[in-house]
Amino acid sequence: MSIVFWIAICVFAVAIAIALARVATAKDLGSRAIIGDLVYFAAVGILTMIAMLVDLTIMLDVIFLASLLGILSTIALSRILTRGYR
Amino acid sequence: MLIVDVLIAVFVLTGALLMVTSALAMFRAKDALSRINVFSPATGLGMPLVLLGCYIYTLQHEGFSVYRLLIAIVGFLSFIIVSSIASNTLSRSTVLAGSPVHRYTRPNRLVEPLRLADDGDETPATPETDPQG
Repeated sequence: MSIVFWIAICVFAVAIAIALARVATAKDLGSRAIIGDLVYFAAVGILTMIAMLVDLTIMLDVIFLASLLGILSTIALSRILTRGYR
Repeated sequence: MLIVDVLIAVFVLTGALLMVTSALAMFRAKDALSRINVFSPATGLGMPLVLLGCYIYTLQHEGFSVYRLLIAIVGFLSFIIVSSIASNTLSRSTVLAGSPVHRYTRPNRLVEPLRLADDGDETPATPETDPQG
């Protein structure tokens, strides 16, 4: 069973690598903001896989908090994009 | 036992592959609005599938608990709702910041009303007030 989690970790890592390469080649700030969001969610996926590998009992709490607080960085970046204008 | 393992593997790997698909689609999308649009499969379908696989794994190894079921349901819904609100806010601020929109992005409701207003004869005649009262 753990080989599945290792494969999933590798797939998430590939997603992060592709996204970081896209950040380096992107021109506008909105693309960089949304790709940063993708990197965040892929990192949450990697954390979940590690929690299942080592049998942590708080793995659902980790995903719960990450899904609720994931909006904060996106809202902050969108406020930065418009220079504070709502 | 075997079927549960297969279910966990399918859910987790599908979520991870959806994340890679969204990352690859970032290269094919032409502008920021399309990139925000193609990002939604990752958070709207991929991460809830990962959460579902994680909950089944917890159910298999630690048994049923009302607290874990509640947390899984709230997490499942908040992945969908929160990511939708975040995408909406980010795309609105991207348009407000004057980011260019590629001509292949359609339907583009932000541009089409302006084009209709430029050549005045093409606009459908909409009477302001009804003469009959």
